[in-house]
Amino acid sequence: MRQRIKSSKLPNFRVNRRNALTAAAGGVGVLALKQLLAADTARNDGPLFAPTTHHTPRARSVILLFQNGGPSQMDLFDPKPELARQQGRPYPGKVEAHFDKQVRNLLASPFRFGPRGDCGMELSETLPHLGGIADDITLVRSMVTDSVDHEQALRVIHTGNPFAGKASWGSWVVYGLGTMREELPAYVVLTDPAGLPIDGTRNWSAGFLPAVYQGTQFRSQGSAVLNLSTPGDVSPLARRHQFDLLRQLNAEHLKGQPQDAELQARISNYELAARMQSAVPAVLDIGRETQLTRRLYGLDNPVTADYGKRCLMARRLVEQGVRFVSIYLQSQPWDTHSKNAQSLRGLCARTDQPAAALVTDLKRRGLLDSTIVLFAGEFGRLPVSQGPDGRDHNRHGFSVWLAGGGFKRGYVHGATDELGYQSVEDIVSVHDLHATLLHALGLDHRRLHYPHEGRDDSLTDEPVTGAEVAAALLETTSA
Amino acid sequence: MRPRILLVWLLAAQLSAAAENDPLHWSFRSLQQVVMPEVPPASRGHNPVDAFVTAAQVVQGVQASPPAQREVLIRRLYFGLLGLPPSPSELDAAVQDTTPDGYSRLVERLLASPQYGEHWGKFWLDAAGYADSNGYFNADTNRPWAHQYRDYVIRSWNADTPYPQFIKEQLAGDELADFAPGDPVTERVVRLLTATHFLRNGQDGSGESDGNPDEVIVDRATVLEGTLQIAMNTLLGLTIQCARCHDHKFEPITQREYYQLQAVFYPAFPALHNDLWRTPQQRFIDVPLPQTLARWQSRETRRDALVAQARRQLAEWVAANRPPAAIHFADDFQTPAGKLVNWSSTAPGDDAPGGQPVVQIDSAEAPGALIRDGVLEIHEAGQSGNRWLSTREAIDWTPAAEGEWIQVTFDLVDDKIDPAGKSAARIGYYIALHDYDDSSSRAGGNLLVDGNPGGPTYVQLDYPGSDQRSLGAITETRYRPGRNYGVRITRLAGNQFRLQHVVDWRPEDKSITLRADDLPDGGFGVEYCCDRSFRIDNVLIESNTAQGGTAVDADLWKVFYEQYQRRAETLRELIETRAKQRQKKPGRVAWVTDVARPAPVVHVLERGLYAEPGAAVVPGGLLRLTDADNPYVVPGPETPARSSGRRRALAEWLTRDGSRPAALLARVLVNRVWKHHFGRGLVPTPDNLGQSGTPPTHLELLDYLATEFVHNGWSIKMLNHQIVHTAVYRQSSAPRRAALAVDSQNRWLWRFSPRRLEAESIRDAMLSASGELDRRMFGRYVPTTRRPDGNVVVEESQRGSRRRGIYLQQRRTQINSLLALFDAPSMVSTCGDRNRSTVPLQSLALLNSTFVRQRALAMAGRILGDDRSGESGQITRAFRLALGRPPVSAEHAAAVEFLGKQRVVYAAAADRDRRIWTDFCQMLFASNAFLYVE
Repeated sequence: MRQRIKSSKLPNFRVNRRNALTAAAGGVGVLALKQLLAADTARNDGPLFAPTTHHTPRARSVILLFQNGGPSQMDLFDPKPELARQQGRPYPGKVEAHFDKQVRNLLASPFRFGPRGDCGMELSETLPHLGGIADDITLVRSMVTDSVDHEQALRVIHTGNPFAGKASWGSWVVYGLGTMREELPAYVVLTDPAGLPIDGTRNWSAGFLPAVYQGTQFRSQGSAVLNLSTPGDVSPLARRHQFDLLRQLNAEHLKGQPQDAELQARISNYELAARMQSAVPAVLDIGRETQLTRRLYGLDNPVTADYGKRCLMARRLVEQGVRFVSIYLQSQPWDTHSKNAQSLRGLCARTDQPAAALVTDLKRRGLLDSTIVLFAGEFGRLPVSQGPDGRDHNRHGFSVWLAGGGFKRGYVHGATDELGYQSVEDIVSVHDLHATLLHALGLDHRRLHYPHEGRDDSLTDEPVTGAEVAAALLETTSA
Repeated sequence: MRPRILLVWLLAAQLSAAAENDPLHWSFRSLQQVVMPEVPPASRGHNPVDAFVTAAQVVQGVQASPPAQREVLIRRLYFGLLGLPPSPSELDAAVQDTTPDGYSRLVERLLASPQYGEHWGKFWLDAAGYADSNGYFNADTNRPWAHQYRDYVIRSWNADTPYPQFIKEQLAGDELADFAPGDPVTERVVRLLTATHFLRNGQDGSGESDGNPDEVIVDRATVLEGTLQIAMNTLLGLTIQCARCHDHKFEPITQREYYQLQAVFYPAFPALHNDLWRTPQQRFIDVPLPQTLARWQSRETRRDALVAQARRQLAEWVAANRPPAAIHFADDFQTPAGKLVNWSSTAPGDDAPGGQPVVQIDSAEAPGALIRDGVLEIHEAGQSGNRWLSTREAIDWTPAAEGEWIQVTFDLVDDKIDPAGKSAARIGYYIALHDYDDSSSRAGGNLLVDGNPGGPTYVQLDYPGSDQRSLGAITETRYRPGRNYGVRITRLAGNQFRLQHVVDWRPEDKSITLRADDLPDGGFGVEYCCDRSFRIDNVLIESNTAQGGTAVDADLWKVFYEQYQRRAETLRELIETRAKQRQKKPGRVAWVTDVARPAPVVHVLERGLYAEPGAAVVPGGLLRLTDADNPYVVPGPETPARSSGRRRALAEWLTRDGSRPAALLARVLVNRVWKHHFGRGLVPTPDNLGQSGTPPTHLELLDYLATEFVHNGWSIKMLNHQIVHTAVYRQSSAPRRAALAVDSQNRWLWRFSPRRLEAESIRDAMLSASGELDRRMFGRYVPTTRRPDGNVVVEESQRGSRRRGIYLQQRRTQINSLLALFDAPSMVSTCGDRNRSTVPLQSLALLNSTFVRQRALAMAGRILGDDRSGESGQITRAFRLALGRPPVSAEHAAAVEFLGKQRVVYAAAADRDRRIWTDFCQMLFASNAFLYVE
């Protein structure tokens, strides 16, 4: 059996690092949850309490660089010379567009592509830094998803289902693997200082999973976490007594609602909060990084400074044992319905260098093998133009890239048709991607489930979606 | 690969199947009398609502819970109706009243409480997308008058305005009031005009648009589209915006219908009509109530009279004490008929008036000049100017002998005419004014002194015209009301002249040298330009040549203006006091009315593109909800004089008795209210009752409640009354394993779901328990402050900092951090369904934030201050204040133990007891028993 973190001494200010494979989600919540599940005899062998991961993991952490709006694959990742040849002609067939009355003719990419790295991966000129790490990444050019509507597609890629109320895959990962660092939330979200992405905090909601698994938002301006200091007039001993009292009050209260996972999460969050107070300031002190590192992430350039800072924060968090970090952009900037080329230039200028720097930095610190970096939006875009210079949504073909955590290096997977509309070769659905990501983390997507509305619900809902691990994306190992 | 079932196809297939089999979606039907379900006689509940709930429970195989304990129910009810906890005495009274109608009387008392409107008002403001800022651009500019709409909502909920009336007022209050400027202002008029602010809750960056014309159109169209979206979503629970570019995929709404609806709002928000658009800053009307205006005016008049008296006394002193001089021109504007006899719009000897349109003499209509109360008023409203008012007489500006001077001076009475108006940016005046258009044979002259309240005053020669020339700054002195200004010209040797600025009769040191050619004979004049209106008096042109022809002693003058300085002090103080105490003219309301009159033709926009208008449309409602006996009709022909009546027609169409839109309106509202009590709507998607929303769990119950709601005169208080009297509301929240196994989400209402308090209630309840809650209602928002670390707080020293959360500034980009942590929305469009998160950041706030600590401190003071019943009594009181109940024995024991331990920790502290109890009270606030209603 995995060991579980003891919670009898509250607060626990000591740093208590544990092995990734033997830790469980922290605190009273889990113990209480265990009681909940144990009380229900059918569930006491649930995945949370499986003796270990389902199989040997390749990765232990994830950094999700989410690109809201749907990045245009044929302008960034997926060169289509045929598109240039047929520029201005009608698409030979029907395209499914979101704004179907606005479909115009084929629109070639204005950007030049060229081979990058030893592997010769073809990438757009707008991504020079990604080109620099081409030999470290897997590029999937054959993604498909279930919806051309932003909110629905966001839910599909985050929760595996277009309807609201399901759990984000970050929550599933934390539910499955628990935390590695008692002092920090296992699931941290770094939002854009300008504001939330479309669908807001629901993107990192725990849905029907217990509330303890939801993402915790850190800020990237001012203090990353507010209220980190104990009031000046409360001594450590006085605070410890306060915690004793609070635990007793909450324990008494919980007797009336013994199975309430939200109340339990709130109780365990106090523990976590107390530990965060001592750990977070050091973890997020970017001033400790060398000038060279800061420059690597583009912190010296106002265009890249914000995204770079958040990528650097993500590395520091993962280094310190945070399980899942996601980074979002405000609203949905990749939604280039008009001025496609111009917008892409600006967005690549913001994100390309920091994203590549993150991979480089993880690699040189020996963290890349155990960390998955995923760069993805909710869908792709059409080869035909919308209006004079835009591109509409496309769920039939888009690209994502991954690095680290057992994913292949310098590898291109799958292909779209010659015009870049539909994935045609080695298709990977979002559900397959979820299954593969869980697999790399040592989890079997068919066995990671949770009772919900009378059935065992899961991230991939395999009986419905037919999700399969895309083994071709992963390096073969002897394990 | 295995076959895939793409979920979206399933979804679409379900929807289209639903649409085919059932052409009328459930929420689009009229309200029919619902058949009461038959439930086993043994099942509990006398309320028809409970019969529906029980019937569903029987089908689902779950059973209702027993009634909640009395204290638990009372706390639930207080938070449910007021958003505040019961005070210990209220709790006692309610618990002790075990008469059969005791609960009903409590419910009725709470429904009559002013705090009811504050709690439920916030509920409506969320649904209606209220914010105190314009959003859209990062600047997120202020909405200084939005609070009037917030207050209107609170008042309406407290008055239990019938829902259709509430809707009509918000959609078309201006058209219902039929108010035109000049009409008598009544409270009803003010209420109706204020209500229309509902239509400006959306984001509006049009006041800050600075992009190219296409971008400006997008900015404005966003306002129009956002307003339509909010109206349809808040009222009808429909997502309509998809139909802007194409027929709606999921709802029976065509693109044409979208534009018909848009045509209803277009005259108020004419996005594509550049000249007609109004920015948020321009959408207001002044409607002071007569008595308020009179009060304000009498205050202003009293202050004005004091100033006028001081001015008169000073002028009399000047007349009596001024050194003798040769007067060339004097006007104190005291002519018997009050006419401007010495002045003209044409310079002396010129062949044309100065500028177009010409300044009108004896007129307040800009550009005009008028004597009022013995003062000359310069009325200017134009943006470009170069007009003037000149003396009829020409003056010789070149003294004959070296050392002699001539000067012109005037009193600047005020730098504006309308006390509420803007101060003039310049107080400009001319000397040697002789020629408007450079047609004169003489060059020079037209010497403009551009008196400046905000910077150096520059002098222009030969203004206006292509040969105008700046002579540089003549003074750094700022122009202020209550002082005397002018210029002096002194003859130097060699046919040269020195120009000096004069302040309070004293010439300043700085000078500009002029030639005789620069100073032809000409008038003194006042410059008109650029919205500059001001008031002057006592224009005087004199020279130091006494009547006898000898120069007056300079020492005499020196003595004079030194004495003047002292005497003028009183006047200046009075003027400053008046400026400080002057209150804005009351009665400004930020409203919406049709600004494009008559209404322009509205077109379908092909593919939603602004540059591609298609077929013209007429205003109309939604086809799928329109019946033959409820057409959308605009009464009477549209005239430029009045608003089009289109929004009123929409409001009538929406609310007509027995109509299907009214049925949907009732269903949406009933569902929102139900959700507010139970945490989950009968339709789980309260903002979407359309075909793409989630179907209701209890359709018949929803329709029954909606029907009752309509029968009860659309009274929301009666709806609330009915809901809180049901057994399903009054049941216990205790979980039961068997029921949990069947229905963990409590969709079948087998218990009352425990629920975390909303953000505002958490804050308000702490203030209430600490005894600090400031119950003052209404008025300007309490500002929030962003600290350097990004924490958005209300400073403790801020006036009103202990008022309820609804009164805190709701700036979209600056929501109070404590409220935001507990899921208060940062308003984008509307928020009918707040998220409910559980994150460690909330724990940190409860442990460490200044706000929580301060409330605990105050509560400690309360416990220590007014209880003499010993520690045990104090513990009980603390529990009752914070949790609405006494402690159980284990809690009491924990409290005793804690107090003992803290007593040791703080043994040496002077304020030991206060610190002990602060630590204790804070943990009560942090406890789940405080944060949750059960």
